[in-house]
Amino acid sequence: MDVTRTVGLDRNDVIAAAKSIYSLVLLLLLWEFVAQYDMVHSYFLPPLSDVLATFYELTADGTMLEHAYLTFRRAMAGLLLACLLGIVVGVLAARNRIMGWFWDPIIEVGYPVPVIALVPVFMFWFGTGDLSKIMLVAVGCFWPVAINARNATREVDENLVWSARMMGTSDRRLLRRVVVPAAAPGIISGVQIALPIALIVTFVFEMVAGGGGLGHLEIQGVRSFESAQVYASLIAIMIVGFTLDRGLRYLRGRLLVWT
Amino acid sequence: MSYADFRLETVAETIPNPFRRVVRFVFEWIPIAIVAGLWELASGTIVSSEILPPPSAVFAVSWELLVSGRLLPHLQVSLYRIGVGLGLSIVVGVALGVGMARVKPIENFFEVFLALIYPVPKAALVPLAILWLGVGTETAILIVFLACLLPIVLNSYNAARNVDRNLIWSARMMGMPAWKLPIKVVVPATIPSILTGIRQAIPIAFIALVSAELIASNRGVGFEILRHGQIGNYTSMFAVLVVISGTAFVAVRGYEWLERRVVTWT
Repeated sequence: MDVTRTVGLDRNDVIAAAKSIYSLVLLLLLWEFVAQYDMVHSYFLPPLSDVLATFYELTADGTMLEHAYLTFRRAMAGLLLACLLGIVVGVLAARNRIMGWFWDPIIEVGYPVPVIALVPVFMFWFGTGDLSKIMLVAVGCFWPVAINARNATREVDENLVWSARMMGTSDRRLLRRVVVPAAAPGIISGVQIALPIALIVTFVFEMVAGGGGLGHLEIQGVRSFESAQVYASLIAIMIVGFTLDRGLRYLRGRLLVWT
Repeated sequence: MSYADFRLETVAETIPNPFRRVVRFVFEWIPIAIVAGLWELASGTIVSSEILPPPSAVFAVSWELLVSGRLLPHLQVSLYRIGVGLGLSIVVGVALGVGMARVKPIENFFEVFLALIYPVPKAALVPLAILWLGVGTETAILIVFLACLLPIVLNSYNAARNVDRNLIWSARMMGMPAWKLPIKVVVPATIPSILTGIRQAIPIAFIALVSAELIASNRGVGFEILRHGQIGNYTSMFAVLVVISGTAFVAVRGYEWLERRVVTWT
């Protein structure tokens, strides 16, 4: 009796899935084997089973969740702030001549600044707590959001605007009901570009300045020679990155039902 | 709209031709001057000049750091790290991208790893790199390499997938052996996309570099920013920041200029 049929899977699906993950399984087995027999010092590569045990331990006693929550809160608060400001600035810069004149060169100069280099500056300005992290995430995410919002708004079909105006739509309403919805796919792309920046800034800031969070947990592992903790934090970071990426994609699908 | 009068073109038309470009340039960059002016005024009055050093002082120190050559060794180290990391990621990324696109077993083998590292911010791998390579140049190179790898792999993969079949058929017809195809046909047809991938990778390389240098280095521009901040030398901290931003800006613009010069066939 074919087991696969009972779960509604085609045999070919199973073969394809096996083909695409066999290398990972092989690598994980090799990792466990090499580390278990001490071919590599456990400081560099603790056995996979140890890493998973540490991950489970840290998750079970709530440490991991607490740190993940800190990271998540900082990254999301900063990203949200950047979205609010970036979308307003981007849309207005595209629709209003004075705003465009003022913001275009500022965006041009501000975008290429490697924001991560501002970590010491923000530590100095806002301390090492949540505020400095959230502010720097907001600054880093502002540029891609603003640029994408501006470009998407510029590319909105003028016929849409003219038609709406012909039918007597007011300026304010035009922006909210016609321009922003038409530019929404591009605006959301900007937010998707900003998401990894939010995470990078949060992790690096936590590593340099401390104050809890997954980045802090990970660097702490290095400093106390607890390699398993470094790997376990990385698993958590992977999960957080993956969840946020998928979440944003899901949100995009829900927000852009008409596309 | 009532802003109809406020048009660059209408202003510019009243000015004789040779000056137009200059006037346009000045007009376009006035906002930067406004921001810098406000900053200059605010520093020392509203905010202490410790916290927000005036731009004039910051630029003076940047200039002095560059001319006196005190920053040059650090800049050199950082550029070396970026160069090696980015260079490696181009070589490996193109080979991997083209290989995955043309050979199914290669794709089956590597796809899952790329899917796994895709959502991880590469800067989060710095502690792991410290475990393996210690604090210093190798760690920075590894992080730059990993950060730049994905955009280059993705761009070359997509392009190699979509190489015009007629090109391949023609080459085969004219008797080219199969093993020569990747080098003679696929990679050349993929070059514009590879160059796009590299352009996307350059700013990422700078972010990765500075992250690695902030966390795990005792040389390089990222480390210099942190060091000046820690000893309270804030004007110098801002000055190094200006230098690294300027370098990133020049790198991206220089690359775009070079790309336009070199890729003339598209």
